[in-house]
Amino acid sequence: MAAETVATVVAAIEERLASGARCEAEGATVTVDVDRGAWLDLLTFARDELGCDFFDWLTAVDEGDQGFAVIVHLYSIEQRHHLLLRTLVPRGEPVLASAAAVFRGAGWAERETHEMFGVRFEGHPDLAPLLLPEGFEGFPLRKEFMLAARAQDWPGAREPGEREPSERTRRRLRPPGAPEGWQAR
Amino acid sequence: MPVVDLPAPRPGGVPGQETGQGAGPGLETVLVGGREISLSVIDAGLACCAVEVAAALRQRAALVPDPGEAPAAAAADRVGSGPPGPAGEGVLHVLVVAGTVTDKLAPLVLQAYQALPEPKRVLSFGACSNSGGPYWDSYSVTKGVDQFIPVDSYVPGCPPRPETLLHGLELLAGVTDTDAGGAAAGAGGSGTGGGAAAAGGHTSGDTGSQGRP
Amino acid sequence: MAGPVSVADLPQGGDAERPGRSRGATGGAATAGRGWTTEGLPYRSASTDVAAADLPARSRGVIGLLEENCTVCMLCARECPDWCIYVESHKEPVPGSGGPGQGRARVRNALDRFAIDFSLCMYCGICVEVCPYDALFWSPEYAYPAAGVAELTHERDRLREWMWTVPPPPEPDPGAPPLPGVSPPGDAGPASGS
Repeated sequence: MAAETVATVVAAIEERLASGARCEAEGATVTVDVDRGAWLDLLTFARDELGCDFFDWLTAVDEGDQGFAVIVHLYSIEQRHHLLLRTLVPRGEPVLASAAAVFRGAGWAERETHEMFGVRFEGHPDLAPLLLPEGFEGFPLRKEFMLAARAQDWPGAREPGEREPSERTRRRLRPPGAPEGWQAR
Repeated sequence: MPVVDLPAPRPGGVPGQETGQGAGPGLETVLVGGREISLSVIDAGLACCAVEVAAALRQRAALVPDPGEAPAAAAADRVGSGPPGPAGEGVLHVLVVAGTVTDKLAPLVLQAYQALPEPKRVLSFGACSNSGGPYWDSYSVTKGVDQFIPVDSYVPGCPPRPETLLHGLELLAGVTDTDAGGAAAGAGGSGTGGGAAAAGGHTSGDTGSQGRP
Repeated sequence: MAGPVSVADLPQGGDAERPGRSRGATGGAATAGRGWTTEGLPYRSASTDVAAADLPARSRGVIGLLEENCTVCMLCARECPDWCIYVESHKEPVPGSGGPGQGRARVRNALDRFAIDFSLCMYCGICVEVCPYDALFWSPEYAYPAAGVAELTHERDRLREWMWTVPPPPEPDPGAPPLPGVSPPGDAGPASGS
């Protein structure tokens, strides 16, 4: 069953990558954190030796000062275990080897990750924008990218009895869903 | 498992079976207030509003004229439409934009508008095409289709009921080619039927309509 | 205890003036603005279509504002996910009860502007649910297309007009537990008294 295969998967990864990887297993999912130098090697190993023949998705997470975490989700159809592979690329040099040679389906996922976060995938056949229109400036899914809402006057910033938002309120006012540190204009 | 060499997807469909420009937006002819309206529906972005438009167009018995039936008789069945318009005014081409228009999709909506023959109007169906709707602050959503094409009728809703498409079309049917101020008359007579007195706050003088080119 | 005061007694149409007399059961200026209900409201549809259509109970067509209940707490404007509710107000002094010079003078919020932009609205109902004073109501009216997008922003007067199209609340479903403050279904109960 999945539990036994998960244990063998964990053992195989740790043996292959020695000290370069950290493995965690939860249910049928194995999460692996690896340095970016071993990225392609791990992907190839997962595809060839661990039976992970289904490439599900590739995306990135903006981890702030730590950089961008690039994450890949693989699945083994026969053995039914999931593999979450993660690596960190520094913010100042967001470059990673392209997985398109290993999994053809990663091609478009990397195009999207590139246009949304600015992560450059070396070896990708054609890193053109996928979803954003021509002439779009900036990387929308980075934390510092400003939504249109941030530039607008929030109607709820007024206190009862006011026509214009003033500074005299002591209450912290934030629109629903706004993160910490959001300032009402 | 070896890597399978599949051809990359590209516009134009399957190689060898290209259909030229690709399937155009759906065309329907409906009868509103005694006037035939040719609807060109563009299913933009998300399909929530398009589903309601599809539901409205499936109510064909109420909308589509029977070839053997006189237009005036058909219009009389339409509750609340008022007296039928002058017969023989010709077909009005209406582009119904239903769904969220993203900046990437906008050029295609513009193409669809430009491809319509005159006389043409645009009906914006739902919050997303009216103003961007719930996604107004997104980096990729056009904040209302009226940013790049002139819109003559805005139907609010998220999504609007199918019946509201008819009300939006009645608003258009009241606007003639030569009467830019006819929007006011159209707004006053649109779909409020016998209960117009109750909606006394309905602004009839202030149209705020887009300038017609 | 006297029953809730009915909106049916309010002047309909045009701009509403706050009634100068007591606010009914809730009593006194301290609870100013609350206590009006839609009980006994002569419901009529603005559109023959809506009246004829067999719409489900609690259908969401448009939102009506009952200004008498609004205390300008700003919760609807703050909780709206679309930011489509615009509320502006100012403070007005209310003389103390018991005549001039007697009782502590209070301050109440007076609405200057209450507008809902229906071109943005996604009809989620969060404003109606969050309003602590039941000032916002759902109406099933759906026929209000506009020739200009600015017309889709409904101001106070138009929102008040929608109030006359708010249907009475539907009966509790069969087998529903008794609602707090309301008698079990099928019983006349004190809520219908005055």
